[in-house]
Amino acid sequence: MKKCLFFTLFLCLWALSWERTASAADELNCILCHKFVGLSRIDENGKFRLFYINEKMFESGPHGKLKCYDCHRDINQIPHQPAQKVDCTMECHIIEPSGGKRFTHKSVEEVLNQSVHSKYDTGGNLKKYAEDYPHCKDCHEEPLYRPLSFVKGLRPGVSERAMAKCRTCHRTGNFVDIFYTHVTSRLHKTRPSREIIETCATCHENPEFQERHGLDDVVGSYKETFHGKAIAHGSERTPDCVDCHVVAGQNVHSIESKKVPTSPVFPANVKDTCRTESCHYTAGEKLAGFQVHVTDDYKKYPLQNYMLLFFKILTAGVMYFFLALIFLELLRRLFPGFTFGKDKKRHS
Amino acid sequence: MARYKKIVERNGKRYFYRFSIHQRIQHIILFSCVITLSLTGFPLKFAHKPWAANLYAFFGGIEVAPKIHRAAGTILLGLFVYHTIYFLLLFYENGIKKLKEEGNLSPGNVVREFLNLEMVPKKRDLYDIIDTFKYLLYFTNKKPRYDRMSWKEKFDYFAPYWGIPVLGPAGVMLWQRDIVSHYVPGIALNAAYIMHTDEAFLAAMFLFGVHWYNVHYSPEKFPMATVFLTGYLSEEEMIHEHYAEYERVMREEGLEAHIKPQH
Repeated sequence: MKKCLFFTLFLCLWALSWERTASAADELNCILCHKFVGLSRIDENGKFRLFYINEKMFESGPHGKLKCYDCHRDINQIPHQPAQKVDCTMECHIIEPSGGKRFTHKSVEEVLNQSVHSKYDTGGNLKKYAEDYPHCKDCHEEPLYRPLSFVKGLRPGVSERAMAKCRTCHRTGNFVDIFYTHVTSRLHKTRPSREIIETCATCHENPEFQERHGLDDVVGSYKETFHGKAIAHGSERTPDCVDCHVVAGQNVHSIESKKVPTSPVFPANVKDTCRTESCHYTAGEKLAGFQVHVTDDYKKYPLQNYMLLFFKILTAGVMYFFLALIFLELLRRLFPGFTFGKDKKRHS
Repeated sequence: MARYKKIVERNGKRYFYRFSIHQRIQHIILFSCVITLSLTGFPLKFAHKPWAANLYAFFGGIEVAPKIHRAAGTILLGLFVYHTIYFLLLFYENGIKKLKEEGNLSPGNVVREFLNLEMVPKKRDLYDIIDTFKYLLYFTNKKPRYDRMSWKEKFDYFAPYWGIPVLGPAGVMLWQRDIVSHYVPGIALNAAYIMHTDEAFLAAMFLFGVHWYNVHYSPEKFPMATVFLTGYLSEEEMIHEHYAEYERVMREEGLEAHIKPQH
């Protein structure tokens, strides 16, 4: 009887849970399984894969109004086979209000394909090591994709006062929450500078990647600058990779090689990039001569490396000399009367 | 300028004059600034080390700590200028003025007088270094007989005198980089960055390692020498560290009969 009661209670709770999740635009009721924190497996490459979806996080994220099926098109039954990778450039079921068309991130891919991060060369052919070039999810690591990272909260910027003004007219539904957040989230930094650097570091800090593409350790060298160090201490007013490398007036997907004349880090443009209104606006043009990405290459950066060598030798010379002196002084105390010389008597 | 007794007796013990109150205050300002600069500078130099974040946060983080650092640096640079003027005034008072009164004022005599100053390295220091190593390497039992300023103390003194002119202007360049960039090429800021941080590292290693050993960690001094507060050194310390001066002062004060042997 007791067992039967527990089973009935379990069924009721399960049914309630099903009811709640089914109402959240989840027709296939995916959350039925994906709500479990431990839902995971080791894939064929030995990589740990976590399939838990934090429902709250998902709903408050940028894709909270989409159905699972909108992105995971290959899943149409439960239980399902391993899902294919999501193609962010396909059209989704959301209708873009200004044009009345289905929304797609296709335009972002078009911009990306014009940038230094494109996997295609100017002739439209795949570049060497094309697999190294980033896809959407290599950089856009939304909370949804790392649901256990609870430390990442909402970024500041959504003003309740401003939203109250909108609500004067837009009273029904959650129109304000969706559209105000949609617009304002693009007016401020969507992620901390430290996270941006780590995103770029995913590829650019990898020595094998650097060797394959003939690149310097730009992230490591950046971290050695005052900019890098200020960001390590939590500064949000210090430029990160994106601030200097994104073409003015363009979005982050349009990063260009420093050899391209329109790049903000093209030698002739650096003086303007450093002296933008929010940075070194009172500085002289000569500031452009400051070398940000200094590595230990003596041929490229002789001044810095020879200076460093000088200080290393000076520091080692001074410290070894005096530490040896201290060591000898302490040692002398152990045998105060001993000498190899003729003067065996203690001096008085 | 205040005159100090060369020897004072307290509770039956003799104490020997080393530093005036004026010099002690300068030293207090110096070490306060250096410690502050180290605590607010090294967490930035080693920003990616695990200990740096909490220490820097203690000093107000990236918004406040640099301001404290610059304030301490400005005071230290001011002290450097002040001490240089003080040094020159002392030289004028004790050297040039005396030459003037004796009617011996000439460029040669001024240079000779300068070279005779107690902090200026001399040939005797070279012999003292040799004696030190002969003693430490057990070639003799004779301890070196340092005069008023030993070669180690001169090194301690000239370390900031080399360090501040390297560190200070480089720090000012980095602080006022926007103004500086109108006059010097940007790569000068790269050089200033290395000069500032690497020289600071050497200075800190030397001061907190070697100098603090001499005045804090060594068995006779632990937990700390008191001369930087009192201005006077005990007879034991004088015998141990400045035997040549000890003998001279005792004779000058008519205490030859009380001179103790070096031990």
